[in-house]
Formats: sequence, structure tokens, C-alpha cells
Amino acid sequence: MVSWPHWIIVAIIMPMAGAVLTPIVSRKNDKAAPVWALFIMSLTSLAALFLIVRVAQEGPFSYLVGGWARPYGIELHFDEFSASIGIICLIGWLALLFSYHYVAESIPKPRIPYYYTLVLLNLTGMIGFVMTGDLFNLYVFMEILSLSAYALVAVSGERVAEMAAFKYLVMGAVSSLIILFSIGLLYAVTGSLNMADISTRLAGIESRLPVMLALAGMAMALMVKAAIFPLHIWLPDAHAIAPSPVSAILSGLVVKTGVFGLLRVYQIFYGAGTYELAGLNTTLIWLGAISIIMGAFFAIFQEDIKMMLAYSTISNVGYIVMGLGLASQYGIIGATVHIFNHALIKATLFLGAGALMYKTGYRTLTDLRGVGKAMPLTSMAMSIGAISIVGIPPTAGFLCKWYIALGAFQAGQPAFGFALVFGALFIFIYYIRMVNSFYFQPPTHPEILEVGEAPVSMLFPVLLLAALCLVMGILGRIPLSFIEPAVTRMLGG
Amino acid sequence: MEVVDIRPVLAPTLSLVCAGLIFLTGQKAFWRRFWSLGAAVLKLAVVMSMLPGTINGTVYVFRLMDFTPGIGLGFRVDALGMFFAVVSSTLWIFTTIYAIGYMEPEHSKVRFFGFFALCVSTTVGIAFAENLLTLFLFYESLTIVTYPLVIHEETPEAFKAGRKYLTYTLIGGAFVLIGTVLTYQTAGTLTLSKPGILSLANGTQTLTILFVTLIAGFGVKAAIMPLHGWLPTAMAAPTPVSALLHAVAVVKAGAFGVLRVIYNVFGVELLQQLNLTMWLAWLAAFTILTASFIALFQDNFKRRLAYSTISQLSYIILGASLLTPMAATAAIAHIANQAFAKITMFFVAGAIQRKTGKTNIHELAGIGYRMPYTMGAFTVAALSFVGVPLFAGFVTKWYLSLGALEAGDWWFVLVMIASALLNAAYFLPIVYLAYFKAPPGTQLHVDEARPTLLIPIIMCALYVILLGTTAEVPGMPFSLARAAVRFVFGM
Repeated sequence: MVSWPHWIIVAIIMPMAGAVLTPIVSRKNDKAAPVWALFIMSLTSLAALFLIVRVAQEGPFSYLVGGWARPYGIELHFDEFSASIGIICLIGWLALLFSYHYVAESIPKPRIPYYYTLVLLNLTGMIGFVMTGDLFNLYVFMEILSLSAYALVAVSGERVAEMAAFKYLVMGAVSSLIILFSIGLLYAVTGSLNMADISTRLAGIESRLPVMLALAGMAMALMVKAAIFPLHIWLPDAHAIAPSPVSAILSGLVVKTGVFGLLRVYQIFYGAGTYELAGLNTTLIWLGAISIIMGAFFAIFQEDIKMMLAYSTISNVGYIVMGLGLASQYGIIGATVHIFNHALIKATLFLGAGALMYKTGYRTLTDLRGVGKAMPLTSMAMSIGAISIVGIPPTAGFLCKWYIALGAFQAGQPAFGFALVFGALFIFIYYIRMVNSFYFQPPTHPEILEVGEAPVSMLFPVLLLAALCLVMGILGRIPLSFIEPAVTRMLGG
Repeated sequence: MEVVDIRPVLAPTLSLVCAGLIFLTGQKAFWRRFWSLGAAVLKLAVVMSMLPGTINGTVYVFRLMDFTPGIGLGFRVDALGMFFAVVSSTLWIFTTIYAIGYMEPEHSKVRFFGFFALCVSTTVGIAFAENLLTLFLFYESLTIVTYPLVIHEETPEAFKAGRKYLTYTLIGGAFVLIGTVLTYQTAGTLTLSKPGILSLANGTQTLTILFVTLIAGFGVKAAIMPLHGWLPTAMAAPTPVSALLHAVAVVKAGAFGVLRVIYNVFGVELLQQLNLTMWLAWLAAFTILTASFIALFQDNFKRRLAYSTISQLSYIILGASLLTPMAATAAIAHIANQAFAKITMFFVAGAIQRKTGKTNIHELAGIGYRMPYTMGAFTVAALSFVGVPLFAGFVTKWYLSLGALEAGDWWFVLVMIASALLNAAYFLPIVYLAYFKAPPGTQLHVDEARPTLLIPIIMCALYVILLGTTAEVPGMPFSLARAAVRFVFGM
């Protein structure tokens, strides 16, 4: 089963076909759309599972679409980093389950099948993005996921949602354009679109200017996608206004594609060997540190719980980017694992916030006071998420902090180790406000004490994710040792 | 001799499970009390069952799992850890009984007792941590689980205290984390099983930064001046919490961390070469005297006790930083000596508050006629702090002075004497007020607090005398302190 070579293409075709078919399947019965989407995602997850098992057993492997050899055909390449497909499927599946009740109330009924289409398309885009070995293909998948993300932000049809989506669209489209331009430059110089191929050919290129221009363009555009300060301005509104399951996907996964793209760019250029990357590294470390601090700073002033979570994403992407920029073994391991762990944590928090909003109808910290007594399980899950995101051991967030800090010392940049650890304290300030408001402050609206827990379809994802936040902290060595060979290979050239 | 044994894990796990059971079934008073007391007794039994082995030099270890590749969540019971564990589990029983009585009229009791149990679980985790990362893990968890206790009253004042507490302790935690990372980077290991893992490292500058970082980190909870600001403010918490924070869990976790840094991370030999601990000794001496001066002027009973705590904790730091065997013995023994005496005092303050509503010292005139047993216990504790022979505090002072002379720093003996006088100056007036300043015509009219409050008070006071009179008896905590010192100094 595991060694069947075609799972990798199944993992892309399945959700894509499922997305297109959703409106047809739910033509007669609109309850069918979520069930169909969940079914499709289950099958995709199965394929993802086989792929991850295979990469763990055999190491990286390639798949030539249609049998066309590279560099002419499209190559799908599955390495340890591509195992992110696991978290994409997990969060995607849980968000779809969560949507079952949530979306029924917050989105106009005729649009519901299209909502599921868009979510599946978005997941398709990400799955393809992490598995492709072809630079142009990478761009195509990035556009699939970006376009569906713009639409998902606007899906509720409210005026503010449209504004947020428009802002997101403008920023996103410009950055996509820059990426396309950079890919064109690389193609012009190397004559190839295959990443591994480009990597080998780059070493022999004599005119460095267009290559460096392409590198700079890609880095900047991907930083927009990753919402690194000061290119983050599209993020808070978009993530806060989207429906909560979408927020979980956007904050947990979509933002990470920017970082993931940076990782791929690094792979190409480390592979080429002869390029001086110190400038880019320094930029990333500094912008990462500034993002940590500024994200936390803005979050402190937010009253709206989802707005707060959105700013916290900026801080956390700052961690990841800093880890990448440190360019030391520990730093990059920490960064890649944080891509995974932060997805878990932020999905817990956004889905939890969604459950609170669904039951109480409130979304500010003042209004939500006392909700810990009314919805104890959801509040507990969110508290675990909060502890985890601050990086208190033994939760998932701690390991990454530990590794990236170690990476800073390893790279001889202790100051950034300090910045990282103390930035985390800054983050704690606003999460403690959340916990205070849930548990320790008298309710602003006494009727809030009457509401019960959300339905199982919402409660289960939240609790499962919170449990994973703890489990991944305690069993952190599993992802860490899984990703280690890939990082060694990447740094070793 | 190292023996693999499940008991080091069992001890913290017991309280953890019990905390879970309290959260689940604690709405009923019976179950809440049953689990709290049951776990306290069971845990003490588990800890005590390891005591004879530890005194004879057996070390119980258990490696739970690899937390990150290479660094495990490991537990290890050596003499120093055992000492801390024995003190905290003994006191937990007393505090639990006291808290059951004290918290009767309070709200949110499930939350209180649940987090109370968690707090002790993490404290034993700190005591039994095998490596610096495990220690940090429990140290940080302790901060989190004590927060709901500090803000228990949910008044604006309590929230303010909670904020201040978190700010101080989390910044401290951040320093500890940085220090841990740097230790790992420098030494390549984090184990606490050797007397000094950094001894092979070189680079005076790195080591100095490392020492300052770690001491600053643990020093916050140990309330070394100027890192003490959270402690007096945290008085807003209910009395059993103050007792727990001040005598057992939090502050001792800080002091214990400092001991681990000095004895197990750096090692005595390396620190003697580096000559780093002298400024720490001076800082401790400064803290001892300054905090005592401030205590003189406090009229609020609990605040005066708080400043006294700050002063007393620095005995431990001073003892550790003198780097001689005698001083080390004093430092370790003082963990117990201070704990029992100070918890007695807090219990007394709480009992008086519950019984009469009085929280200020000037209101206490004649209280000895009404609550003679309570005030008797207070007198015992006060005499111990002054350092009168036959009481626990004398043992500390005696060995600390000997240790100072051993190190050739005779002026610390003067600090001891000055501190003893200051202790007398701020504790004995309370005793005087209680017995001799009664309003004319006051009759002896015994009206004590309820037994659940009174019994722990008397038990702790008796223990203070026991610690002071039977220090040399084998099997008492003091022998553990001796064993720990033998290990540290390689004797």
C-alpha cells in the first residue's frame, strides 16, 4: 500500500476534484456539502498518511507527472518538509468538521456549498504547494490557495469582510506578481523551472545580478505572504473577520506557506552553494525579532479576541523567520517544527474563539468575562493554547522556543536568543488578560453563565487540538528527529 | 549507587492525579478534603520510604522520556532534593489541614484546592529534577499554578498583586531559560547529577554571564534584593497561600534553584577559581539587613512577616555563596528551619485574622490572654528566628557563623549578630504586646481558633523545637543536609 507510487498525485487530485464536485453533490440537499467535504478530506488524509510513512521509511522521493522526465515535465518531490501535508490535512479536516454548525449560522444559505468548495480548493493549493518540485508549479498552487483565501475572507458577505478581503487581495496579488517575475528571471538565467535543476545550474551562473534580484524579489514577496512586519498590514483584519474555521486555516496554515516558500528558496540557494546569503539571513533575523515584538505590542491593545489572536500570529511567524535566518542547525529545526506546532496551537485558539462566539454571540474580552464557568471545556482548551503559545513547558510551543534560542547561541547571536525569550513574555501579557477575563473576572453580561458548551462537532476539534498541544510538547522529539535529516541535508549542501 | 525506581515519579504524579480528582469531584466537600489529605499523606509516605536509602547514599533515578532528543524528562533523588521534598511534603499536610479550616467561608474552593495540589506536585518535581531543563519545566509550571491562588480574592488589589507576581517571576523564568540554553551550549549536558558540569568549560566571560543569568533567574523567587518586589504585594492572597508561597513552595524553589546552580551546575571548585560568589554574598548580607530594617516599620502583620521572609531567605543564599562545608550545611538546613518557623507565624496571623478580624500589629495588645496556645507557638517561632539555642534558627546561625569563619570572612558573623538583634526588634514587640500590654482588667479567657487551625500551628511550633534540639539525631533532616554537603564537596 505504502509504496504505491501514485498516492502523491491522488493527494492533489482528490481534494481538487472534490472541490469542483461539491456544488453538484449538494444540488438537492445542502446538508450534503459538509459531509462530502469531510469524506474527501478523509480520503486525502489517508493518502497523506501513506506518503508520510513512506518518506519516514525511504527518505525523499520524486514523482514525474505523466511520466515526463525533468526538466521538461512537472516533478512532484516529497521530502521531510513536505510532511507538512499531515498538519494541513489534520487542521483542514477539523476545520471542516467545525464548520458544520458554525457556517450554517454565519453564512447565507445559498453560499454554503461554495464555502466548502473554496475550503477544499484552498487545501488543495497548500497540499500541492508543499509537494511540488517545480517552481512554476509552486506559483500555480500558490495562486490557487491565495485566490480561494481572498474569497473565504469575504464569504460572510459583510461590508467589513469585503474591505478586509480587498486589502488582502491587493497585497497578495502584488506579491504574487513579484514572485512570477522572479521565477521568470531565474528561468531566463538557468533555462529550467525544476527546483533541483535550478539549484545545480545556479552554481555555474556568472552574471549574479539577475539571480540576486530574483532572490530578493522572492524573499520580499514571500514575506508579504508570511505577514512579516512591516508587510503584515493585511493580516489582522482578514484573519479576524473571516469565519472562525477559516481563520484557523488562514492563521495556522496559509500564512505558513510564505515561510515554507522561503524554506524552498533557501533549499535552492543552499544547494547552489556559491551564493552569499548573509544579507538575507540578517534581514530575516531582524525582521523576525521586530515582528515578535511589534505583533505582541499591537496585540496588547486589542479588545476583540480574534484580532488579538491575529496579531499573535505575526509574532509567531516572527519566531519562525528568525529561526530560518539564524541558519544554524538548531534554529532551522526549531523554525520548521514551529510551522507545525504553531498551526496546532493557533487552530486551537481560533476554533475555541469560534465556539465562544457561536454560543455567546460576543467577541470582546470584556463581553466574554465569566465564560470559563459557562463553557469550561472550551475555556480550558483555550487556556492550554495560551500557555502553549507563550512557550511554557511542557507544551508544544516550548520546544520551538528552546530550539530557536539554542540556534541563536549556536549561530553566535546570543542577543536574539534574549529577544526571543523576552518577546515571549510580552506575548504572555495579553494571553493572561484572556485567561483573567474567562475565569477570574465577574461577568459583564450575567446571562453568559447560562450558555452551555458548543455542539460536539465544534467541541471535539477544539479539545483534540488542545490535547495535541500538550502531547506534541511531551513527545516533541518525534517531529524534531523526523525533520533533522532534512535540515542536515539542506545545510550540508 | 544509583537505583532505578518508580518512586521519584510517583511522588509528583500522586499530587497531580489528586489535583485532577479535586477538579472533577471537588464540588462535594468530603471528596475535596479526602483527596487533598489522602494525597498529602500518601505522598509523604512515598517520600519518606526513600529517606533511609538516600541518607545511606543511594540515589534513586527514573528517566521518564526523552523530552527533546538527548534531554530527558528525568527524575533523580539525591540528598539535597530529598531534603527539599521532605520539607515540602511534611508542610503540605499541615497546610492542607489548615487550609481546610481557613477556607471554609471562601468561594471557589474547588479551584483553590485543585491548584493547591498542583502547586505541591510541581514543588516535588523541582526537588527531584534530574536536569536543568526538567527543573526549569517545573519552575515555570509553579509560576502558572500559583497564579490562580494569588488572585483568589478576585479584588482589584489581588489582580494587581497577581500581575506583579507574574511579571517578576516570568522575567525570572526567562532568565533561567536563557541560562539553561547557554549551559547546554557551553557544557553539552544539563544533568544535575555531578558536582559541577561546567568544570571543563573555559571562558571566564561566558561563565560570568551564565552565572549572573541563572542567579538572577532563580533569585527572583528567592527574593534577593532588588528582585523582591513581588513578595510583599503577594500578601493579598489568602493566608494559607501566603504560608505556602513564603515558607514552602515558591521562595524555596528559588533558593533551591540557587543551590543547584552553585553546587551542581558550576560546582564549588570552579566558583572558587572564578571568585564570583563574593558579590552574591554581599548582596545577600545587604538583603538580610535591609529587609529587616523595612520589617521594623511594618504595622500590617503579614507584611512584616513578608519582609522577614526576604531577610531570612538570604541566609540560604549567603550560606551557599560562602562555598565552605559548614556554610553549605547551614544553607541547606535553613530551608527547613525557616520553613517551619515561618509557616507557624503565617498560620498564627491567619488564625488571629479569622478569629478576631485583626490584621495590624498594634491591635494585638492582650491577644495572648485570648489565644494563649496560638501566641505560644508564635513565641517559639520568634525565638527561633532570633537564634536562641534549642530552637531551629540557632542551628543555622551557628553553622553559618562557623562557615564564615572557615572562609575567613569574619564580618559576616557581625551580619549574623546584627540580624539576630533586628529579628528580636521586630518579633519580640509582638510577643510583648500580646502578653504584657493587655488593657487593664483583661482576664485569661481562652477563645482559640477552631482545631483545624490550631493543631497545625502547634504541630509546626513543636517541629521547630524538634529541629533545634535533635539536629544530630540520625534520620532528622539535618543528616540529609550533611549527606548533601559530603557529595558537593566530594568528602
